[in-house]
Formats: sequence, structure tokens, C-alpha cells
Amino acid sequence: MFGYSLSRRTLMRGTALVAGGLVLPRLALADDALRGGRLVVAADSEPRSLNPAIVASNGVFFIASKIVEPLAEAAFGSESGLAPRLATSWEGAEDGLSVTFKLREGVTWHDGKPFTADDVAFSALNVWKPLQNLGRVVFANLETVDTPDAHTAVFRFSRPMPIQLIRNAMPVVTSVLPKHLYEGTDISANPANHAPVGTGPFRFAEHKPGEYYRLVRNESYWGGDQPKLDEVVYRVLPDRAAAASALEAEEIQLAAFSQVPLVDLDRISKVPGLKVVTEGYEALTYQLVVEINHRNPILAKLAVRQAIAHAIDKRFVVDTVFLGYAASSTGPVPKNAPEFYNPQVTAHDFDIDRANALLDEAGYPRGEGGKRFSLRLLPAPFFSETRQFGDYLRQALAAVGIDVQIVNNDTPAHLKAVYTDHAFDLTVGSPVFRGDPAISTTILVQSGIPDGVPFSNQGGYANAELDAIIEEASETVDPEARTALYNDFQTMVTEELPLINVAEWGFTSVVRDNVVNVGNNPRWVVSNWADTGLAR
Amino acid sequence: MRAFALRLMRSPEGMAGLILLILLAAMALCAPLVYPGDPMAIAGRPMLAPFSDPAFPLGTDRLGRNVVAGLMHGARASLLVGISAALMALIAGSIVGTVAGFAGGLVEDILMRIVDAFQVVPGFLLALAFVSVTGASLPVVVVAIALGAWTGPARLVRAEVLSIRERDFVAAARTMGMHPAEIAFREILPNALPPVLALASVIVASAVLIEAALSFLGLGDPNIVTWGSMIAEGRNLLRSAPYLSIAPGLGLVATVLGVYLFGEGVAEALARRRGRA
Repeated sequence: MFGYSLSRRTLMRGTALVAGGLVLPRLALADDALRGGRLVVAADSEPRSLNPAIVASNGVFFIASKIVEPLAEAAFGSESGLAPRLATSWEGAEDGLSVTFKLREGVTWHDGKPFTADDVAFSALNVWKPLQNLGRVVFANLETVDTPDAHTAVFRFSRPMPIQLIRNAMPVVTSVLPKHLYEGTDISANPANHAPVGTGPFRFAEHKPGEYYRLVRNESYWGGDQPKLDEVVYRVLPDRAAAASALEAEEIQLAAFSQVPLVDLDRISKVPGLKVVTEGYEALTYQLVVEINHRNPILAKLAVRQAIAHAIDKRFVVDTVFLGYAASSTGPVPKNAPEFYNPQVTAHDFDIDRANALLDEAGYPRGEGGKRFSLRLLPAPFFSETRQFGDYLRQALAAVGIDVQIVNNDTPAHLKAVYTDHAFDLTVGSPVFRGDPAISTTILVQSGIPDGVPFSNQGGYANAELDAIIEEASETVDPEARTALYNDFQTMVTEELPLINVAEWGFTSVVRDNVVNVGNNPRWVVSNWADTGLAR
Repeated sequence: MRAFALRLMRSPEGMAGLILLILLAAMALCAPLVYPGDPMAIAGRPMLAPFSDPAFPLGTDRLGRNVVAGLMHGARASLLVGISAALMALIAGSIVGTVAGFAGGLVEDILMRIVDAFQVVPGFLLALAFVSVTGASLPVVVVAIALGAWTGPARLVRAEVLSIRERDFVAAARTMGMHPAEIAFREILPNALPPVLALASVIVASAVLIEAALSFLGLGDPNIVTWGSMIAEGRNLLRSAPYLSIAPGLGLVATVLGVYLFGEGVAEALARRRGRA
């Protein structure tokens, strides 16, 4: 026994020496001290499906974007705002009726099969267009996808398709699925939705419900020596307070999506070894919006809506509710969408006297107890900030004589009350700006949306002129003309106030010092983390 | 009555409870005089620490609302809910208990099975379910709490009634030709009440706590200040501004302790009277 173990130990030592001799020079040659290690990340929810091609939402991308890749990813500093992933180039035809994608060669799926244009064509026609929440809008007019060779895909549309929209939407709507696993199956019930197979830098390893997700390095990733990490583990920590403690205890190295509450950031940024990162959310801007029910005859009057806008102190909201981690809004397009942002719009500055005067003129003088009229306010329960802003709005409107009764609901009851039953006067919403007005903000003011569609115009607002602009922009191929239309759109929304934009905010990450390349693209949290590493 | 008050004064717990309750009641009653207007109004700079500004003795919360104003107005909500829920539970429980005990037979069986049915569901869960279905407002919260609390008095009253209805004075009332309902509610119920009153303190205390727990979970009336909602909002800031949770928490402790001590005192005083009689 002794002899055996001794000989085994000797053998091991010998092997280690040989292995070290082989590996060390290679590491030195790659000039890469970051290779290896496990990144442990806090996950606040466990998405039911991990298929980003069907559910294009941040909760799914957070985990699945490391496994399943899109055609292109958002990037800082590149001219188109994109970095190529599975596509290497994209070009729209003059008439807007086709877009040609050149695809990356030499890419294989995690199960070893080659990635080809057939996978893209299958994903587009069978998944993105019919099944995906956003793809339904973007690819509504997609007719066919031609594949002249294995690495070219030509998307053909029945109506002109703005290349600008395709570019802006690509990181979100174009996650490619393997045709060989999905063809001929019930796509929404495919087992690969829970154990995804992709082309990304990490493979899906396991999911222990209630405990963790584990992803491991894809040894045959196309990106050269990427990824740097050996493993990414998502520890399920539904309690937000737990994430901060877990970071301090060094149980996790990263808590994204503002898992550490804003009120804790100041304290935790002073903890040695931890830092707060606000970069990496630029393309995931949330907008704090007061949505208005125009069926209420009082709110149907423009002067009343203007008065409400004047009663809100946006600076107070940014400083107090968001503790400075936000910016005040001027209109329906956020400032960090510079391609579309139009600063030349009607501003409604904080002005109580003006608000009072507008309400008096509109025919609502102060009555008994200084009250003019009463409104129901339903703050969205999604963020503590939306609830807190609800508390603030109640006080802000009380100052101009509007009595506000807050109605708190849980998420399903809130969605039903606002978007199906329309049982509200005002509601505080938090829509996401997804890089292009056509797939985000316009749906909040467009008319003709059926009842029950969540996060859409359910306030009964209808403006034919505004609808016409939105309609025209959706088919304008020339980027400049299209941008001009959206400038008009912003001007009109701030004049007519179908809703009131108050603030816009991104999330924050809290991360240990030794994690590098954090927040280096505008969708970093939901990108593939191929270059993220651990310094030693 | 005077003798009863004297006996109560002689018990130290009873006195301590009484003083606490009088202080709390004074706080609740004075709230609109000391801090008129909406206690949820934004009054000053957010997150002022306690004792740093004489205008805000206990500081301000995240939106700049005065913590003392919230505390005093919150006392109103807590006491109001506690007392009205207890009253409601006592009245409903006494009526059901008296009818069950006095009528007997099938009526008793049916009523007591209903009581059993309510008793197997924990009171808090019942309140939680009721509020989330009907929507939160102060009267709804009161009903929701009473819904889980009336079974205790009902059982106690029934037991008392069962023993009292065999007494001579009840038989005398019967021979005098009094209506059974009159016998039940004018002759028997008043004699069955004293032990139930001792139960009242327990009900008030638990009602105050349930109300706070509902508000903590965001199921209270969002348009009034309650201690539970103050604690819920302060919870996020527990590491940086613990006073936001501690102040209303102490209020809750004082209320529950006061009600409990007072109840003890009352029960003791009653027991002494019984012992002597």
C-alpha cells in the first residue's frame, strides 16, 4: 500500500512537471495572465426558459447570452455601434427590400456540428418572426431567407425595411438557434430551451433549481484564446439584501442589474476590494414614465397634463429617488441614444405657480380643503424606485391641489388593472429603451393596440398625426430621413404629452476589484463575457 | 367599579400598561395638532440623522418625510386598527358564542363547526388572503384581522354560557316568561363577558402586529402612514439608517407591551374579585 501510494505520488509529480513545462511557455506566449478561474455571479431570478431567440428579455440574456450568440453585439466606439459576432458584415439594398448578411466561417455548435446559413434562415423564419416577443415586430414583413452559399443569408422583406432598425435591433433579436436540434420539433417545448446549445464562449453545464446555473468554457470557441474564464456560476440569490452580504463575504464576485440596492451603494463602494460600475448598461436604458389614462375627461385636457408635468421636480426625483444614479428626461428618447435624441423639444420645468395657473385656467379651481380633483395612481411594482416615485408624485400633485389615491398591486394584478381593465388615472411605468424607437417607445403612444398588450398605449390616446409619423418611419429606408421623422416624433410627444417622461436610468454592477473587462460594451451584462477575466 | 379601579391600581403591571397606553393614546390624539397636514408630505432634506435638526427630532426618511410625524400619525392607525378589530371580533364572537351556547343542539353544532373551520386557518394567512383579494384600505384591514380573531371569544363565551344557563336566575327568568333572546343577551351574556374582556388585550396586541405585518408586506393602505409601512421602507436602509426601522419598531413594542400588561392587570383584578365573591 505504502509502496503503491509513493509510486503514484512520484508519478503525479512527474506528470505535473511535464505538464507545467508544456503549459507555462504557452501562457507566457499568449501574454495572458487572465486565463482561467471561476466567476461567481448573483442571479436574482431563475428564468423558466433559457432561449433568448424566443424570449428576448434581459433576465434570459443575463445567462443565455454567454451560450447562444446573436449576429452582432453592441459596441462602444465603432461606427455602426456594433461588433460582429456570427455575422461579419451586413448590407441593406437600396430599395430596403433585402438585407445581406455574411456569416462567420469555421464556427461550430457546442455539439460539434458546423454553423451555417441554414441555421440563420431557420431561426429567422421559424423562431424570430413567429415566436419572439420583439422579432414579431422587427421581422413582421420578412418573407424568405435565401442562402446562396453556406455563409451568406439574404433576408427578403415584403415592404421596405430600414437598415437602421436592423442594426439597432440585431444584438437583441438575432440569437441564432441550431437548426439540427430544433427542426421538426415543437420549438417552444424543445428541451434545448432549458439546456441551450449555442456557438458562444461558454457551454451550458447544469442548472440546480434554487441553487445555481453553471456554464463551462467552450474549448473550441471561434474567438481565438477566448473565453478567459473556465467557469461562470450564477448563484440564485432572490433576496436583494443577500447579494450585498454575499459580495462582502467574497461568496460572489459580481452582482449586476442593481441587485445591491441604490441606498447600499455608497456604503459598499467603500468596502475594500469592491467597486461600483455603472458602465455596461448604456443600451439598456429604463425610462421612468407617468402613463396617463386619456379616457378620464380631466386628463384628456392638455392643460391638466402640462400642469402635472410642471408639478414634478425631476431634479429631486433623480437626486432622492435614484440617489443620483439616473438622469432627468426631456422626452420619449433617452440621451444615451444619441442617434435619435432630440434636445430641441418642449421642456416642462418644475414650476408650481405655472401648474396652479394652468389648472385654474382649465376650469378646476381649488375646492374644499384646497383640492381640485382626485386621481387614482398605480405605481408599477417592478422596482422600488417606481414605487417610491409613486409616493413622491402623490406629494408633488398634492402641492398643486390634486388629491392622489395610491393603489398598490402585485405584478399580475397591476398588469391587468392598467393594460386590460384600464382601471387607473395615472400609472408609473418603467419601459425599456431598446436602441430604436420602433421597438420601444413608440408603442406607448401609438393608437389601435388591442386591450391587454402589456407595456403599450392602453391610456386610450389617439393622435392621427403621430400615428402617421410612426407608420412612415417604420418603412423609411434612408437613415437620415428616418431619424428626422423620429425627431418630429419627440417634438410632438413633448408638446402633446400623451405621457410624461420623468427620468432615465441604467443599472449598476457591484464587482470585486480583480474582475477585469467589466462594462466594456453598452450591453455588457447581457453580452457574452468572452474577454472577462480574473486578475491574480 | 371604583373597587375594580383600585384593585387595578394596586397591580404594578396593570399600572405600567395603563400609563403606556395613555401615553400612546395621547400621542395618537395629539398627532394632528402637533403635526397638522399630511404626515407623508415631503418636509425637509432627505435622510437627516436623528437629533441633528430640532425641526426633525428623529430625522427624515429617504424622501424627506418627518419620522416623528409618521410615528405619531402611525400610532393612530395602529391603535385604531387594533381596537376596532378587537371590538369587531369580540362582538361577533360573543353573539355567535351566546347563540351557540344558549340554543344548543343542531344550531350549536353548526355554529361551532364554522368556528372550527375558521380556527384551523392561521389568522395571518386569512388576513393576507382577504386583503389581497379585496384590495387594501383601512376598513378592509380591520375586517380581515377580525376574521381571524373572532373564534377565540366565540368559544370562550359559549363555554361560559353553557355553565351560566343552568343557574337559578336563568331558570327564574324563564318562569317569568322572558323571551329566550332577551334571556340570552340581557341575562346571560353580561355575566359571561368578564373572562372574554381579558382575552381582548391579546386580540388587540395581535391585531396591531398583524396590521404592521400586512403593511410591511405592502398590503396595508398605501395612503396612510403605518408603523409597518415605515419599517418596510426603512428595511432597505437598515445598514445605513437603522433609526428608520427602529423608531416605528419601538412604537410597536410599546403598544403591544402596554396592551399586554394592561390586560394582565385587568385579568388579575377580575380574578381577585372572583376569588372574594
